[in-house]
This record gives sequence, C-alpha cells and structure tokens, in this order.
Amino acid sequence: MAALETMRNQLEKKLKEFQGVQKDLQKTASTRSQLDVQLNENRIVKDELELLETDSNVYKLTGPVLVKQDLEEAKANVGKRIEYIEGEIKRQDATIKDFEEKQEKSRKELTTLQQQFQQAQAKAGKA
Amino acid sequence: MNLLVLSFPFRSVAVLPRESKMAQQVELNALNLQQLEMLKNQLDQETEMFAGSLQSLKAAQQKFVESQQNLDTLTPSNQGKEILVPLTSSMYVPGHLSDVKSVMVDIGTGYYVEKTTEEAKAYFKRKIEFCTQQMEKIQPLLQDRASKKQAVIDVMRDKMIQMQMMQMQQAGQPTRA
Repeated sequence: MAALETMRNQLEKKLKEFQGVQKDLQKTASTRSQLDVQLNENRIVKDELELLETDSNVYKLTGPVLVKQDLEEAKANVGKRIEYIEGEIKRQDATIKDFEEKQEKSRKELTTLQQQFQQAQAKAGKA
Repeated sequence: MNLLVLSFPFRSVAVLPRESKMAQQVELNALNLQQLEMLKNQLDQETEMFAGSLQSLKAAQQKFVESQQNLDTLTPSNQGKEILVPLTSSMYVPGHLSDVKSVMVDIGTGYYVEKTTEEAKAYFKRKIEFCTQQMEKIQPLLQDRASKKQAVIDVMRDKMIQMQMMQMQQAGQPTRA
C-alpha cells in the first residue's frame, strides 16, 4: 500500500512539473506573438516612410508632443528597431524550442509513470 | 496648424500568423483518441486566431474608411468656417478651420507625417486595399481549418463507436471463472 502512496506522490509531482513547463511555454509564445505584431507595425511604418518624398515633414510622438524628425533619421531608427525586434524574436524562438523539448520529455515521463501507477493499482486491487 | 489627426488603427492586428506544424500530412486514422483531441484543440485555437485577425482587420479597415471620408469635408469652400474642436469627448471649444490643404497622418509606432489631403486620400486608399488583401489571405486559411476540424471530429466519432462496440462484445462474453 505504501508503495502505491509513494507512486501517487511521484505522479503528482511530475504532473505539477509538466504544468509548470506548459505555463512557461504559453508565456513565451504570447511574448513571441506580441513581438510579431510589433515587427509588423514597424515594417508597415518603414514601407510608408520609404514612399515619402524627401522633403516630407515627419514627426515622432514623444510623450504628448510631436517632435519634428529628419526623414532619413526616422528611416534609420525604424530600421534599427526592426533589427532589434527580429533579434528578440530569434531569441524567443530558441526559448520556445527549448520549452517544447522539455514539455515533450515531461509528457513522456508522465505517461510512463501513469501506466506504472495503473498497473500497480490493478495488482493491488487483485491482491 | 493641422487640425485633423488621423489615427493609425493597426496596433491590434496580428497579420498572417506563421504556418504551423499542421502542414504535415497526418493519417487521422492512425492517431488515438487523445492525440485526436489534441489536434482538435489546436485547430480550435487556430480557427479562433484567424477569426480574431479577420475581425481586427475589418475594424482597422473601417477606421481607414472613416478617416478617408472625413477628408472629404476638408474642401477649399470650408476654409475659415467655424468648427467645434473636441478637447475631451464631452467638451468642445470653438475654432476656425484654417488649413484645408494638409493633414497629419499617424502611420504607426508614433510616427506622424504631414500630407496634403490628396496624398492622405491615396494613403487611405492603399491601406484599405492592404486590409482587403490580408483578409483575402486569411479567409481560405479559416475555411481550411474548419474542414480539417470536421474531419478530425468525424474520425473521433467513428473511433468512439468502434470502442463502444468492442466493449459491448466483451461484456457479452461470459467471464471465465
């Protein structure tokens, strides 16, 4: 009976572990999709800036004021921002892959444990 | 100065999500019920995501259309006319329309560009078309997920019926002592 109890505890621990990994994965995935949205918006802005005439007036909203900005400078800034976000996305992708592997490993361990537990339970029931 | 600031409604739009791992061909019949359930959940999520994107795009497009229509009131004949400028949504101050030639357009991420009304109209036309294109891309994906989901549900139902039959057969057999 005691053996069954330890197995049950083990199973619960593994389950918590698995759920933890799952949560981490979800969090990273949502950060990733937010970055996607940002990247998209920046790309749209970049395209728009590329279409402008060289003498266009461009302003940047800083706090409540619009500050006039040089068009070339604005383009460079958006370009840098895109680079940064792309780098960040790569980083998040690596983390996601890592978590996915962890999740898969944890899932396998959990299933094995579950099967062992069920077998033990069935045996105990017969005895 | 330029009275009309036209806002950029794209912030909430996640445009085309990555094509997921679903692309690989899977033989549905080879999967067990648990795997099918997972697949169905994934398809559900994707359907929701596409539907959400579609809705945001529609809302964004509507805003562009409104901005474009508002530009039509900036005609030379309206120059100098008295207008009420909203300071808050419930308080207005009188003002005069001093400039009907140029507007400030929010192109996203805090960047504003001064444009003539004609340029601004062209800008909105472009944006409206862009929204339409994106929606046309999402629509088939949404349909694809819906039909895949139906296929998964069909297989799940078949499997469940099979399982029930097997259980009934087993129950029908006399248990060995």
